[in-house]
Amino acid sequence: MEAKVLDSWVLAEFATPDILVDATRQMREKGFQGMDTYSPYPLHGGSEALGLPPSRVPFIALCGGLTGMVTALSMQTWMNTIDYKLNIGGRPLLSLPAWVPITFELTVLFAAFGIFFGLLGLSRLPQPYHTVFESEDFRSASTHGYWLGVPHAPGQDAAAVIDQLKALGATQVTVVTGEKE
Amino acid sequence: MAETAAHHPLDPLEPRDLVAPHHDDKSLNETLLDHVWRKPGKGWFMLFGLSLSALGLLVIGVTYTLARGIGVWGNNQPVGWAFDIINFVWWVGIGHAGTLISAILLLFQQKWRTSINRFAEAMTLFAVMCAGLFPLLHTGRPWFAFWLFPYPSTLGAWPQFRSPLVWDVFAISTYLTVSALFWFVGLIPDLAALRDSSKTKLQRTIYGLFALGWRGSGRHWHNYKIAYLLLAGLSTPLVVSVHTIVSFDFAVSLLPGWHATIFPPYFVAGAVFSGFAMVITLIVPARKYLGLRDVITDRHLENMNKVILATGLLVSYGYLMEHFIAWYSQNQYEFWTFYVNRATGPYAGVYWLMITCNVVTPNIFWFKKCRTSVPIMWVASIAVNIGMWCERFIIIVTSLSQDFLPSSWGIYTPTWVDWSIYVGTLGLFGTLFLLFLKFVPAVAISEVKELQLELKHAAHHNSHGAH
Repeated sequence: MEAKVLDSWVLAEFATPDILVDATRQMREKGFQGMDTYSPYPLHGGSEALGLPPSRVPFIALCGGLTGMVTALSMQTWMNTIDYKLNIGGRPLLSLPAWVPITFELTVLFAAFGIFFGLLGLSRLPQPYHTVFESEDFRSASTHGYWLGVPHAPGQDAAAVIDQLKALGATQVTVVTGEKE
Repeated sequence: MAETAAHHPLDPLEPRDLVAPHHDDKSLNETLLDHVWRKPGKGWFMLFGLSLSALGLLVIGVTYTLARGIGVWGNNQPVGWAFDIINFVWWVGIGHAGTLISAILLLFQQKWRTSINRFAEAMTLFAVMCAGLFPLLHTGRPWFAFWLFPYPSTLGAWPQFRSPLVWDVFAISTYLTVSALFWFVGLIPDLAALRDSSKTKLQRTIYGLFALGWRGSGRHWHNYKIAYLLLAGLSTPLVVSVHTIVSFDFAVSLLPGWHATIFPPYFVAGAVFSGFAMVITLIVPARKYLGLRDVITDRHLENMNKVILATGLLVSYGYLMEHFIAWYSQNQYEFWTFYVNRATGPYAGVYWLMITCNVVTPNIFWFKKCRTSVPIMWVASIAVNIGMWCERFIIIVTSLSQDFLPSSWGIYTPTWVDWSIYVGTLGLFGTLFLLFLKFVPAVAISEVKELQLELKHAAHHNSHGAH
């Protein structure tokens, strides 16, 4: 890494998930970009409040599944029909019905890999360090806290943002600064 | 959701108390994380000691088998498959309930799965690990087990993809992998909760490592929700396919007693039957010990007993149909197997034990008193586990020991090595399970909190609707 790039967030805690979702929506209507909510479980209406496009996980899963299917069919056909002909009691060399089970299993396996690695890739995980962890209070986000993070240019005065968040019902607001990856 | 459950006690769509109503997020945390942070009690250590001793038996049995060869087992000609395959099928069957509880109930939006799914999935993983051990040893030269996979070997040969045994290899390894992924994905938010409530630096580091830096971000939840649902959707056909393929190991052959088209559904029903019984067996003591009565309520247990009753009846239907077809086909070999050998032959005791445990026992759950009495259901669940083990024994051993030619009949008796490996896998399972209970939240915390919120909303709407 060359020069340190600083990353700064205004973190606001809210009392209930509903207030958080409301506040998020209103902040976005005010024109704030790149915000993020933090909560111990998925928020009802959270994705809409953040204005997220539909998730791409299903598409990745489909690609994985199709890859698995094609892999399985071509593997079995090539191995048992072309490369190493096994004549078992004169049965046809290209016996597709016998390949259904493995084709199915590999389709599922590759789709599952697609889902898992798709999820990790789209969420940029594993990411052991993130600026928001600079705040010790923020630790409650995984157990009982509802937080909104607003990205903010480091070194600038955040008073205006803090006031707006407080007006929307935040119980506490802090500014955290850390290194960007 | 207009009226309360009290008005419609039988309407399955009404919200009910799946989580004791006096909890909020904070107290749920304390209740559910408590057993991880507490020092385990005497009971845990005693059970752990017991499981470790049994695990020792496994080590002895496996070492002896590897050193001396398969000859130390009771397997012979004609009974080439015995304890190795019986236990494999039995363990895989137990594993299936976990996936069913997790995946199928999630797809059916059955809210009551939330408290027990983590528990059941862990059971799946450990049961499949135990199951996987048996076919490996059964190959006789487990150090060449990789020959089963299509890798470009110097032998210049490829696996025979028309063989159910090769299908089995793919099915079991896929099942183990997907179950592990499903379990881990469900675990990530809870690992983050553990990380953030850790007491020491070491705990925070270890849990933090496994939590992958999860911070409950809305952008991540957005992908997470759909990913979890899709994994559940994939697991559902996977469960059915895996046990179907296990049943193909038998059904594709021509042996009387194996050569039956009913095998796939009959095996799947049997798997769910034994699996749910195993969940009851484990969850009753665990719930008491972990203090999870508020989350795993009596309703959960009652629902599971209903599933045991339903699948038990399906299994009974399978027996009935096997016997009917044996008579209806007028095939003398089939007739001999079902009406003479199994009911009156050398293994008749095991057969009648199976009938008692699998056909008679589940019917007690017609009575609400039995469905809701914890001691009765616990004993019944153990009976079901024994019954299903007997079923695998009967299917495999009786069919092999007396097939077409009386001149090639033979008797099978298990040796001490067979027994020690079997008891040893119970120990392996117990050890892993106790470690899981100690280090990982046994209940999916984030899901329970979400459910709690939903229930509160529903209750709120109800009270407003009443005004």
